[in-house]
Amino acid sequence: MSLLRYTLRRFAQAIPVLIGIVTITFFLANQIPGDPVEIMLGPTPAQEQVEAIRAQYGLDRPIHVRYFTYLSGVATGDLGLSIYYDRPVLEMILLRLPVTLLLMLSAFAFAVVTAIPLGVISAKRRNEPADHVSRIVSLIGVSTPSFWIGLVLIIVFAFYLGWFPARGLVLPWADPADVRGAATRVEVLRQAVHHLFLPMIALGTLQMAQITRIERSSMVDSLQGEYVKLARAYGVPESTIVRKHAFQVAQLPVITIIGLGLSTALGGAVLTETVFEIQGMGRLIITAINNQDYQLIMGTTLVFGFVYVIGVIVTDITYSYLDPRVTYGED
Amino acid sequence: MSEPLLSVRDLKTQFFTEDGTVRAVDGISFDVHEGEIVGLVGESGAGKSVATSSILRLVDSPGEIVGGEIEFKGETIFGLEEGDDGELRPRDEMLTEEEMRQRIRGREIAIIFQDPMESLNPVFTVGGQLREFIEINRDLDADEAKEEAIDMLREVGIPAPESRYDEYPHQFSGGMRQRVLIAMALACQPDLIIADEPTTALDVTVEGEILEMVTELQEKYDTSFIWVTHDMSVVAEICDRVNVMYLGEIIEQAEVDDLFYDTKHPYTSALLDSMPRPDRTVDELRPIQGVMPEAIDPPAGCRFHSRCPEAREVCREVHPEPRELSEDGEAPHTAACVKHDAFDVGYDESPPIETQATGGFSAGFTETGGEAE
Repeated sequence: MSLLRYTLRRFAQAIPVLIGIVTITFFLANQIPGDPVEIMLGPTPAQEQVEAIRAQYGLDRPIHVRYFTYLSGVATGDLGLSIYYDRPVLEMILLRLPVTLLLMLSAFAFAVVTAIPLGVISAKRRNEPADHVSRIVSLIGVSTPSFWIGLVLIIVFAFYLGWFPARGLVLPWADPADVRGAATRVEVLRQAVHHLFLPMIALGTLQMAQITRIERSSMVDSLQGEYVKLARAYGVPESTIVRKHAFQVAQLPVITIIGLGLSTALGGAVLTETVFEIQGMGRLIITAINNQDYQLIMGTTLVFGFVYVIGVIVTDITYSYLDPRVTYGED
Repeated sequence: MSEPLLSVRDLKTQFFTEDGTVRAVDGISFDVHEGEIVGLVGESGAGKSVATSSILRLVDSPGEIVGGEIEFKGETIFGLEEGDDGELRPRDEMLTEEEMRQRIRGREIAIIFQDPMESLNPVFTVGGQLREFIEINRDLDADEAKEEAIDMLREVGIPAPESRYDEYPHQFSGGMRQRVLIAMALACQPDLIIADEPTTALDVTVEGEILEMVTELQEKYDTSFIWVTHDMSVVAEICDRVNVMYLGEIIEQAEVDDLFYDTKHPYTSALLDSMPRPDRTVDELRPIQGVMPEAIDPPAGCRFHSRCPEAREVCREVHPEPRELSEDGEAPHTAACVKHDAFDVGYDESPPIETQATGGFSAGFTETGGEAE
């Protein structure tokens, strides 16, 4: 009933957080040592040239003026001009963001689809062989960095076995004419899946391992709940107890972990994109930093911050949808 | 007397832990007849709850029923026989796990748990949970079950049951949740309801209301109850017959009036002395001395002798089985205490021993406390 109002309010509450992100990002980016103009023009530029460039990017004005200009720019969707690419930052981001989102979403889908059954089986067969296997797998998963998994996957499945391509990504929405060896839409989709497979696993393994661990411990808890004993005492079949009575209660901490996993996955995406040479947000950030393209650094950082905030909000809303005890703060 | 509804004979349930075998229920026998409320009384750790979960064959691991017989309406809930290899094995007529689930649990024997706060699932509506159990155990479709659920909520005194049907457990008070659990039990129309300390977590006024309601509904539906409690005043209020448990054994069994006015076992007397009674005026309540020993290593002889004010040398050596002590024409009354002549093991000649209750090590401070006043 008031779920919609709650949703709107949560988004409204996020506005100060977003302004905070913009502020911190702006001042941090302006503290980066080195001068972008110097990089653009080389070590001995002509004075007029420097001033012209500074004026073009507004760097000649005092920092507080530039801050408010930037803030109002962000509010209207103008993230400035990339110094390195010489194109609007927003345009660059819109080009790259879908790639990263595709990678992240497929990694999370892979993680959730494998982790939840694994965790449930593990909890149900606690201390049996299936449980030991799943616990060892998830322990390895949480303690192995994603770039290492990526490299191993490339060596084994791309280099030795040759089952999957080692680099690049084909976007499922790409025009068949632009994709090499693909005449039809179906071909494009097939290639997209083919390319996505290894990076998805590289990025998703950590999430899968974390979700499995939480799912298991949460299910172990709820399977010992009094309500489960009650259901058993009333003749509810064991499969219904696991799938319904214990499961739904156990998902609350899992949702939290998935939401928080977004932040680690963003970091992981940067590394995974580097390993698999995927032109996504991660590569964009690295290019921006390497070239001191401070406009682009600010823009990409902001987008990461925004994605994270949205992740938290979606987590909260899902939580309140699943758990009737969460009030909307209105009583 | 007619055939009992439920008959438990020499039931033994043990927990196999790393520290050893815990004999939580160690050979108890009792009957429940139709329309009766039978009390199962004892301190925490006496084995009451394990006994009730054994009846439904829902003992949690590492616990296991290791011996005895449980018969319910002519069906064998638990029963062993000696196989060809000399090992004990379940008898052929013993109900399978699937039969227990489909035919007994909920449908024939329902249970009300102690903690109303934890027993309802927090993420489903109260009505939905009630409806689910009714659907499973009454073969009704969803709409009929919902109607039945609302009627039942009304019956147990929940105001505006139609709207409360869609509410969640956290929107109910403790007393209301316990009423919901009672509604669940009654709505499945079982022949026997096991109430496992259902009022312990509630405050006294709510407890009173619930007991009154249960008495009324019990007469209306003619359901039998096993009422598990540690509270003698609850026993006095609602039970017809009482079994007193101590350390996994039933040490006294009698009709409720006989138990209160013709107490045969010192443990029962001690329990009664430790609670206020309107019919007796005392300066001070006398709590039972000491704590109950561990069921993992019960004392030899009578298990209560270490805390018994009437303990004698012989109590350390002889382990008494319950014996019939009633005179001809009286209601059955059994007790397991060698002080009664029926046991004839030389109690009267045996010298008294020092126990926690007769001035042993820990009884010291209560006595000095008494003198100082």
